[in-house]
Amino acid sequence: MKNPPFVYHQAHSLSEAIELLATYGEDGKVLAGGQSLLPTMALRLGPPEHVIDISAVPDLDTIGLDADGGVSLGALVRHAEAERSDDVRRLAPLISEAMPHVGHRAIRTRGTVVGSIAHADPAAEMPAVCLATGATMIAASSQGERTIPAAEFFDGYLTTALRPDELLTHVKFPAWSAQSGGAVVEVSRRHGDYALAGLACRVDLSGDAVTDAALAFFGVDSTPVRVPEAEAALVGKPPTAEAFAEAASIVSTTLTPTADIHGSTNYRRHLAGVLTTRGLKTAASRIGVSA
Amino acid sequence: MSNTTQVGETASLACTINGAAFAVEVDPRRTLSDVIREDAGLTGTHLGCEHGVCGACTILVDGEPARSCLMLGVQANGHDITTIEGLANGDELHPIQQAMHESHGFQCAFCSPGFLMSTVALLAENPSPTRAEIREELSGNICRCTGYESIIKGVETAVELLAGNEPEQTGQTGQTGQTGQESAQ
Amino acid sequence: MTSTDHTQTSGLGFVGQSVKRVEDDRLLRGHGSYVADVTPEGVLHAHFVRSTVAHANIARIDVAAARRAPGVVKVITGAEMKELTNPFPPFMMLPNMYTPLYWALSDDKVRLVGDPVAIIVAESRYLAEDAAQLVEIDYEPLTPVASISDAFNSSKDQLWEKADGNVLFDNTDTFGDIDSVFADADRIVTERFSCQRQSNQPMETRGTVVEVDPESQHLTITNATQSSHALRWIIAALTGKQSTATSLKSFVTNKERRTNLLAGLKAFVDEHSEDLAKADNAGAVSQFKKDKSFPLHLNRISANLAGKTDYPTVVAQDIGGGFGAKGSIAREDIAVAVAAIELGRSVKWIEDRVENLIDGGQAREEDLTVSIALDNDGTFRGLKVDLIMDQGAYPGFPIGAAFITQVMKVMYPGSYKWDAFQVTTKVVCTNKGKYIAYRGPWANETWVRERIIDIAARALRMSPTDLRLKNMIGEADMPTEMITGPTLDVTMSTRKCLERLVYEMDVPAFEAKRAAAAEEGRVLGLGFACFHEAAPGPPNYMDAINPGSGAASDEKARTVVQADGSVKIYTPQMPHGQSHETTYAQIAADELGVNIDDIELIWGNTDKTNFSAIGTGGSRGGPIGGGSVKYGTRELRKLIAAKAADMLEASVDDIEITGGNIHVAGVPSRGLSFAEVAQAKVGESAPGATEAFEATVNYRGKGDGGWSCAAHACVVEVDLDTGLVSIPRYVVVEDCGPIINPAIVDGQVRGGVAQGIGAVLYEGLSYDADANIQTTTYMDYLVPTAMEIPEIDIVHLETLSPGENDFRGVGEGGMIGAPAALTNAIEDALASRGARVTKQYLPPTTILEMAGVIDPDPNSDR
Repeated sequence: MKNPPFVYHQAHSLSEAIELLATYGEDGKVLAGGQSLLPTMALRLGPPEHVIDISAVPDLDTIGLDADGGVSLGALVRHAEAERSDDVRRLAPLISEAMPHVGHRAIRTRGTVVGSIAHADPAAEMPAVCLATGATMIAASSQGERTIPAAEFFDGYLTTALRPDELLTHVKFPAWSAQSGGAVVEVSRRHGDYALAGLACRVDLSGDAVTDAALAFFGVDSTPVRVPEAEAALVGKPPTAEAFAEAASIVSTTLTPTADIHGSTNYRRHLAGVLTTRGLKTAASRIGVSA
Repeated sequence: MSNTTQVGETASLACTINGAAFAVEVDPRRTLSDVIREDAGLTGTHLGCEHGVCGACTILVDGEPARSCLMLGVQANGHDITTIEGLANGDELHPIQQAMHESHGFQCAFCSPGFLMSTVALLAENPSPTRAEIREELSGNICRCTGYESIIKGVETAVELLAGNEPEQTGQTGQTGQTGQESAQ
Repeated sequence: MTSTDHTQTSGLGFVGQSVKRVEDDRLLRGHGSYVADVTPEGVLHAHFVRSTVAHANIARIDVAAARRAPGVVKVITGAEMKELTNPFPPFMMLPNMYTPLYWALSDDKVRLVGDPVAIIVAESRYLAEDAAQLVEIDYEPLTPVASISDAFNSSKDQLWEKADGNVLFDNTDTFGDIDSVFADADRIVTERFSCQRQSNQPMETRGTVVEVDPESQHLTITNATQSSHALRWIIAALTGKQSTATSLKSFVTNKERRTNLLAGLKAFVDEHSEDLAKADNAGAVSQFKKDKSFPLHLNRISANLAGKTDYPTVVAQDIGGGFGAKGSIAREDIAVAVAAIELGRSVKWIEDRVENLIDGGQAREEDLTVSIALDNDGTFRGLKVDLIMDQGAYPGFPIGAAFITQVMKVMYPGSYKWDAFQVTTKVVCTNKGKYIAYRGPWANETWVRERIIDIAARALRMSPTDLRLKNMIGEADMPTEMITGPTLDVTMSTRKCLERLVYEMDVPAFEAKRAAAAEEGRVLGLGFACFHEAAPGPPNYMDAINPGSGAASDEKARTVVQADGSVKIYTPQMPHGQSHETTYAQIAADELGVNIDDIELIWGNTDKTNFSAIGTGGSRGGPIGGGSVKYGTRELRKLIAAKAADMLEASVDDIEITGGNIHVAGVPSRGLSFAEVAQAKVGESAPGATEAFEATVNYRGKGDGGWSCAAHACVVEVDLDTGLVSIPRYVVVEDCGPIINPAIVDGQVRGGVAQGIGAVLYEGLSYDADANIQTTTYMDYLVPTAMEIPEIDIVHLETLSPGENDFRGVGEGGMIGAPAALTNAIEDALASRGARVTKQYLPPTTILEMAGVIDPDPNSDR
């Protein structure tokens, strides 16, 4: 179980990285933290011919405070750094909620948040957090920089809207409102495993009523998915147990998760409903509402 | 200029391992765990799964725990690596090693390097963890022999030793454990 | 050094104390020497090309490109390997059983995903794996046999041409008048249970390093094996391409070799004549009827062994767990040895985790239909079991379906009284990994018995513990026999264990807690299970399994005082986590009157240790290995005392040894050291003698019961939202007789229970309908972590047998009791919802389906 041969490129600047991707991106993979890439290489599952190591690229390891009150995570920010960051906890609390669920400490010290998003494992937490927060992907290539809304980013199982020549340099999380409550909840068979089903959710309140809601599920489909019908059912209503139960019921009837050896379709569907109730309750409690 | 290493070529790796400078030319595809075991000759770091789940190959990179099977050797360039062999001070065991001995922590001990390195990292960050915190922090390491209880007790003993206290002696004979208590699961 | 004072201070001896482990200093420093750490100068690395399909004929295999690949030194295909080796023979033959013969690599047919078809030897493992990707194989697909029901489906292709379809064994054993007991009983409760495929999963995978002496071509094999001597003999037997005639000629012409071999054979026959007289050839006749080539191969193997002048040396130092998996002798062990022989160079193979999950050893997949006949007052009358075991593609060697089904046969009745018992055993083959011994290999006998008792108790509205105790054999009944034959004496103390456990669990208090929890919408359950196991069992235990098989069970430790006074003990045991260095030092130190650090244990080298057919396994380390150390060192002490008595001009009866000081009672200040006595003794010997005193005792158990017993109970909480099960309380009451080292016993019990919990809640090997294995990584085969395993409370009872006590094994019981107790507790939690637990594997989906929270997916058999 040893890595297959590849051409190893180490980029020392963003422009070098982009140049390498322009040349080798089609048959290449970006190496940042490596916590997703290395296991697939060891198993020789569709190994890349070129590995482009960006760990020496300067300025990608920063947690940036954006003018609009949001935060931007560079491609080399490790999970453990995001987990420890007070700025992240304050400005993008859903990321902080997600971090303890990501693997184990020795994975989080190496793995990068942006790498996890680019890898787009449908059972991973961060892609769903991107959906729930309305994050923006910033991709650089030799043709310049473009932004991709999270809602348009996740195309399918382990595939995204990124072109082979593009590097996901940053992910920008918008300002988190004081009226927003969020939670990341999941159930896995063992602690630290990929979730059987999970939910990154956000509820915005104004006065007594929900003004907006986001329910982004992971582990239930080939990409992270939102359930707009259930979100819509919450809007305009007070954040009560009844309202959450109604949303949960819509979730359970709307989703058709795929079965695998760890859980059936019906199980995951049921679990998504349970997580809806649990997640919304926790999210509401974050802004002082007990439902 | 970017550095490119073609298939079949080697790249330079320079780092420190257990405080000593280490430099070698390596095939970039080789994992850090293989480099540590084969090139540095430090076979105390074990390979249990080679896909990042079992935790036996856990080392410290700049003081933080990492799976050495999920790093390329070349990724260690310029970093400070600590392996199980770097814990003891000559004849004197590290307090965490001594604590595991006191508590009969391991059986076959194949997993022990990973548990010990994870414990070093845990206690550096949180010198007096609760039992629940110990279980959670060590859940990235798999042991097939012990059922974990003796390892958890080893960490608790290590907390005592590191704080300069004499550890409580483990039960000598007869009934052990705390019948009637519910565990925090 | 570890800072532990290993000197005797209590005056009570070391046995019985939680002496800190001698092994630890080296292991905790990372200075252990596991097989992967052994890298001889210039060693080459092996990798296996494995089938990607489950069942197919090989139309063509082309290794030309692999042979040309960078760094590749040798490629051997299945067809080539067949010319260089003998097949694995049946190890234990039973009437009505057919055991297919198979070779180290497959040549014309593959029978599972992962079936090795070629071995590539290269300068590095990386390069060998690269070359494997260049091998081209054309497969002609056969219908996959993916399940027990597939195995009985006659439209599926056969794995083995000479078998009856895909059935290898079909046999019924009856004890007592089963028909009239079942006709006469008030009621019969029947259930069909199924257990999923599990895997041993030691943290260290298998591995072998074969070194070839450039001069003599002698092989030295470092191997992670539980059974070094068996490995040595089997490698000698199966490797070698000379004809039978050449072998026999070599045997006849080499007088010294012939004399030694025949003398060894005669000694073995003399020592085991009683056992060998019991053995019959009925199993061999069954095998011969199916496979006429079998005697031919056996002749070749025998001639090969007889004709060889040099057998390999097998060595091993530290082993990273086994749980039975490393008791197997693997096809890879043979293939790597052959590659080294052919090349005349050292070759290393370390199994990777994917290989280990695919074919490193699998176990437990069985369907069991169980009927219990009982009267309305709860009296057990009769028990019927119909077992179908899925042995996978290739028979486990040496321990596989033959041995394990027969242990199950003997043990189904458990610690209860029965009027009659009947078991029908079928063994089928499928396109899966090989079924081998996994810690408490027969454990499903306990699982189904203890499950059906709970189901019967519910039917009778009796408490499950009352029903058990009503029918359980107790001290007043001793000595008696199990209905299947083995003698029971006071060491069969299951009743005492269960009575104590009922006290510990305080059922009324639990019921109050359950009611309170129910108010909060929480669901609790309580389950019990109990059993006894042979550890080592009485002399007639092995005969009940297979007459004469006791011949394999004894062992000889060689105990020595060196010329310098140091004590060495050579054991054929193969420690792989059980802490033999500590426990044997405790035993020997007490016998000899020395300290722990004065004892050195030597193991793992077949040139230095006496033959043992089994090595470490079957809970034998304490009773058999420990017994031979105890009685060996006792003999050794007599020799030392006799010499010291001469030197001190005293009576040997007055000699005492304390803390290594050999002295006349009451005069410790005028004592002699071991070195002084040893030097005096060596002075009388031929010059150059290195050993002053030596004693070897052959041991196979004390001759009476030798049972280990336990009762397990746990409280579970089932989350009906998620299907997750937690275990807020787990208690084991165990009785393995006099304990050598309580902390080590605790570790064995807890480790076994953890594996049993894994079996129920986390671990299931999975194959799809085409027999493709789906659990090839640790992301899918879920070994539980510290977050999943609860704290486990242990109560030790130490039932002594009359007279001198022997030690009783404790390695397997944790795993035997846990699946039964846990599934009983889960059914108890969900019984009010109409749930019945018929599967051992209860992942969250199954829990919620049983509880009626969710429906099964349409078209799903999960």
